Amino acid sequence: MIGIEHYLTVAAMLFVIGVFGLFLNRKNVIIMLMSIELMLLAVNINLVAFSSFLGDLVGQIFTLFVLTVAAAEAAIGLAILVCFFRVRGTIDVEDVNVMKG
Amino acid sequence: MIAADIQVVLPELVLSVFAMAALMGAVYTIKDRAAPLLVWTTSGVMVLVALWIAIAGPQGSAFEGSFTSDGFSVFAKVMILMSGAAILLMSEGYMARHGILKFEYPVLITLASVGMMVMVSAGDLIVLYMGLELQSLALYVVAALRRDSIKSTEAGLKYFVLGALSSGLLLYGASLTYGYTGTTSFAGIIEATEGGVSTGLLFGLVFLLAGFAFKVSAAPFHMWTPDVYEGSPTPVTAFFATAPKVAAMGLFARVVHDAFGGVVGDWQQIVALLSVLSMFLGAIAAIGQRNIKRLMAYSSIAHMGFALMGLAAGTVLGVQAMLIYMAIYVTMNIGTFAFIMSMEKDGRVVTDIDALQMYSKREPLKALAMLVLLFSLAGVPPMVGFFGKLYVLRAAYDAGLGWLAVAGVLASVIGAFYYLRIVYYMYFGEERDALDPGMSPVLWGFLMASAAVMVVGIVNLFGIEPAAAAAAASLVN
Amino acid sequence: METIILFAPLAGALICGFGWKILGETAAQWVATGLLFLAAFLSWIVFLGHDGVTDQITILRWIESGTLATDWSIRLDRLTAIMLIVITTVSALVHLYSFGYMAHDDNFREGESYRPRFFAYLSFFTFAMLMLVTSDNLIQMFFGWEGVGVASYLLIGFYYRKPSANAAAIKAFVVNRVGDFGFALGIFAIYFLVDSVKFDDIFAAAPTLAETQITFLWREWNAANLIGVLLFIGAMGKSAQLILHTWLPDAMEGPTPVSALIHAATMVTAGVFLVCRMSPIYEFAPEASQFIVFLGASTAFFAATVGLVQNDIKRVIAYSTCSQLGYMFVAAGVGVYSVAMFHLFTHAFFKAMLFLGAGSVIHGMHHEQDMRNYGGLRHKLPYTFWAMMIGTLAITGVGIPLLYLGFPVGFAGFVSKDAIIESAYAAHNGYAFWLLVVAALFTSFYSWRLMFLTFYGKPRGDHHTHEHAHESPMTMLAPLGVLALGAILAGMIWYKPFFGDSEKVAKFFGIPEAVAMAEESHGEEPAADEAHSGEEAAGDHGEDHHFAFGGDPGDGAIYIGPDNHVLDEAHSVPIWVKLAPFISMLLGFGTAYQMYIRRPDWPAKLAQNQRPLYEFLLNKWYFDEIYDFLFVRPARGIGMFLWKRGDQGTIDGGINGIALGIIPFLTRLAGRAQTGYMFTYVFWMVVGIAAVLTWVSITGGTN
Repeated sequence: MIGIEHYLTVAAMLFVIGVFGLFLNRKNVIIMLMSIELMLLAVNINLVAFSSFLGDLVGQIFTLFVLTVAAAEAAIGLAILVCFFRVRGTIDVEDVNVMKG
Repeated sequence: MIAADIQVVLPELVLSVFAMAALMGAVYTIKDRAAPLLVWTTSGVMVLVALWIAIAGPQGSAFEGSFTSDGFSVFAKVMILMSGAAILLMSEGYMARHGILKFEYPVLITLASVGMMVMVSAGDLIVLYMGLELQSLALYVVAALRRDSIKSTEAGLKYFVLGALSSGLLLYGASLTYGYTGTTSFAGIIEATEGGVSTGLLFGLVFLLAGFAFKVSAAPFHMWTPDVYEGSPTPVTAFFATAPKVAAMGLFARVVHDAFGGVVGDWQQIVALLSVLSMFLGAIAAIGQRNIKRLMAYSSIAHMGFALMGLAAGTVLGVQAMLIYMAIYVTMNIGTFAFIMSMEKDGRVVTDIDALQMYSKREPLKALAMLVLLFSLAGVPPMVGFFGKLYVLRAAYDAGLGWLAVAGVLASVIGAFYYLRIVYYMYFGEERDALDPGMSPVLWGFLMASAAVMVVGIVNLFGIEPAAAAAAASLVN
Repeated sequence: METIILFAPLAGALICGFGWKILGETAAQWVATGLLFLAAFLSWIVFLGHDGVTDQITILRWIESGTLATDWSIRLDRLTAIMLIVITTVSALVHLYSFGYMAHDDNFREGESYRPRFFAYLSFFTFAMLMLVTSDNLIQMFFGWEGVGVASYLLIGFYYRKPSANAAAIKAFVVNRVGDFGFALGIFAIYFLVDSVKFDDIFAAAPTLAETQITFLWREWNAANLIGVLLFIGAMGKSAQLILHTWLPDAMEGPTPVSALIHAATMVTAGVFLVCRMSPIYEFAPEASQFIVFLGASTAFFAATVGLVQNDIKRVIAYSTCSQLGYMFVAAGVGVYSVAMFHLFTHAFFKAMLFLGAGSVIHGMHHEQDMRNYGGLRHKLPYTFWAMMIGTLAITGVGIPLLYLGFPVGFAGFVSKDAIIESAYAAHNGYAFWLLVVAALFTSFYSWRLMFLTFYGKPRGDHHTHEHAHESPMTMLAPLGVLALGAILAGMIWYKPFFGDSEKVAKFFGIPEAVAMAEESHGEEPAADEAHSGEEAAGDHGEDHHFAFGGDPGDGAIYIGPDNHVLDEAHSVPIWVKLAPFISMLLGFGTAYQMYIRRPDWPAKLAQNQRPLYEFLLNKWYFDEIYDFLFVRPARGIGMFLWKRGDQGTIDGGINGIALGIIPFLTRLAGRAQTGYMFTYVFWMVVGIAAVLTWVSITGGTN
């Protein structure tokens, strides 16, 4: 029997993978954006699981909002990344450090 | 029913419609040439809405409690809109000079302001998230407003990635909260926590607080702040340092009191920890800064630490102290950034504090105004900034957080160093090449007004004390 | 009138000190001097017109706090009146004298203005001293007491470019603080026990105090004795008595008029005044009085021995002052307060004159102070010579013994000093009596040695200086003349009211006669008297009836207990006692004449033969060295330790260490953490959230 805890575990694992992807990845900013998506999707699994478990629709509505916002967020993120690439000529994570200290 | 709900969100609606109309209008007509007019109009509209909210704003809750308009939100919204309007006015000349006065700028600022207004009025986790994202998405864009600059785009990128991470953390917290209480509305959550908090909910609370801490740039979630402040165009930095901070603090207070007001003990220690870390980190790290924008970033981290101290008290007095502190902080920052925007040499932006050496000799009046502001930022007694600190220290002490108050005093001693160093440079430094003389009348006006407030305000703080008390009372019950 | 006396010097000090730039230097000096002469003139009117009845003049309400109620008021009785004339007269003359003495001073640069400051200090000192003697309560007295301390400090250190003067000023101040500590403790004790600091209340409570026990330090004490000793410790500091005497010789670093005014005639006698003022307490504190006698006699002897070998003309006189103060304390200690005041009174004249004479010599000799470089000056400085001669005759006690024309015939010192020695004998205090007699011999020796070395023999030292030696101007000589008058006549004129006749003494000091007691005591006292005279051979004065002092404590200016008959018995001492001081004086004179006129080579030989003794005396019994070892060095050690280790090391080091070491280190650390890489920022955020999650998991949340 697959219970709520299994869903939560999967979501937590996805979330942690997403977080780790943010700071273990030294290659490409695109991968960071993907990691962020992963985190948001983990949250969505959480919400849907809770919604189903609680028999309450609010969680699923929340999920739809999150999906929408995530799409907008990805659009804006990519736009900024494009701007950055234009002036910097690279999207390596290790090159995003003009400002520090 | 729906009409009554609309009535409550009318100010936000008006601003949103205005923003969209402005966007459409400008896009299909004269585009960037409309920008100056748009800036002035937007700031006028924001002031009008602020006055409307303050004097005759709709009160009550809408959409089954997911949106609340009460004394607290009125106080915060007025601060947000007023500071936003002020920053817009100050930006116009600067951005025009540096060729970045785009018509999107006032539109984005308006949309961000709407998001902030939603944040401080949120009565539900979904509304909270929507408001937060509306604000954040608009701010990511304005941070990268100068598309041809590495620093500006890098600032936008960093802000975006880290902001998205914080949104993720916050959302994860929200999902846990929803799961363990069965509801997303604050009213439901406070009911569900009457018998204490389960571990799952506690984790949810921690994630939520982490998200808020990022927005108020409290240590250790502060690290985006210096880079974004440095990279963004100065008017945008000024905006970052004012309105979003008020909104984030408002949201913070809203959630911990409206949703978790029954379990103060569970979040008090976390907030106190964030507070003490921020105060010390802000004070210590700022000492090493030569770039005045980065310095102001660390300064704002330290100030947020003090504001969090008021919040950590978990009492009406604490919220009142936090609101007063934020009002004073915003006023000081508007004046300081008005000055920073005027720092130019041969038409180029200067941000190095060495450029201020012996400034008092050439511009005695402006140097004096800055002296007043910096003293106030440092919390030197006759200035208003001192009373802000006094309020939060008092609130923390009364709430039994004596150690936190002591830590605050120590941190403000350390923090005084870098403010006073600027004063030292201005009055006793070595001769250097002069900064460009002159200053636009708008900036000059804001600088002088802000400095004057710091001195004159000691009489009665312009009456914000009872207003803040009423606002705090409406939040905490 | 009394108010004018009190405030004229203050006005002078303020006008002269702050107004000289407007008035001009000379005018400012004349204002100060003129006001002082006015005060002196009024003082004499008060003194001569005073009927002995205690008078109180309230000036203002001063302190009211709980039971501590203090008016600022003048207590005018005979003691005050005596002190008034002493202070104002000597002060006025010293002001006048200073015109000449301070006219040129090598310690100040050309064009530098120091004279108005000097006069202002002098006037301020006079005001403080008047505050002290006119006070109606202990707090006001303490104010004056400290005021004169400040003035003394300022004036000793007047030559502020001289390190030795600064050191002497600090020494005087610090040593006096030791005494003041005792004085303050005494005041506290009185307030604690009597619940008042007013003299009237204290005196009324004196008999009660004698029966009270008080715990202090490690044991129980009799309250009157404890208070007496504590107050006397204050007096010891001010009056340079043994143990706390070391500052007085060093205070000679100040200008000579200062030495004459403060360190001879007025301030140093404040201790004697205090003991006399508190006579009602001391009458009930026999042990404390014994202590005073012991210490006074020891000081008189000690200072006289040191005076024998000093070479600095001012130091000789300083030790002489110290010694004479010892005499006064003996008198006060044995219970003849009037005699103590008598000697204080006469001493003020001749000692001030000796100092001013010495100042005149120093002035004439271009600030040369070593007597070994003097010699044969009586022709160059004739007036000064005669003034000094009169002073010496007065201090050594020259007179015609046993001749009594209603008063004894002799110089002032003869009358008053003999009175003290006789009183000491009458009080059956052999220790005090013999020490005082020997001290009188030494006094005579060193005084004549001073005269012979300075004015007789051949000129020694720098030839040039001697050729240019000159007589002082009239402003300096006139005060000498006036004081000379006092030195000759003061003793004879006021013999009776101070010592000679008990009834006159009682009337003079406003002490009521004990009528009831007198009749009753007639029966016993002659018997007691006979017992005394039986064993002390014949030769009574002829006065056979004892006057009984009566009244309650505080009724008169001084209080003499019903059992205190020293005053009367002093008149009936054996004849050899009366002759003893005179013979000592002759011996001293003879020795000095032999050693410094007839065989001037003897002193050097003697010093050579008795090297250890000579060194011992020359180094003032090694008091300074002992104090240096016992107090100064340990104190300096503690101070150094607290300064270097405590203040600089721990506090400064701590603050600086944090401010300059730890904080910059943390700042660098914070800067390094801000790498600029997004993954670092994410990492710290995750660390932060993980830490918080761990923490809430451990603390368990709900609390």
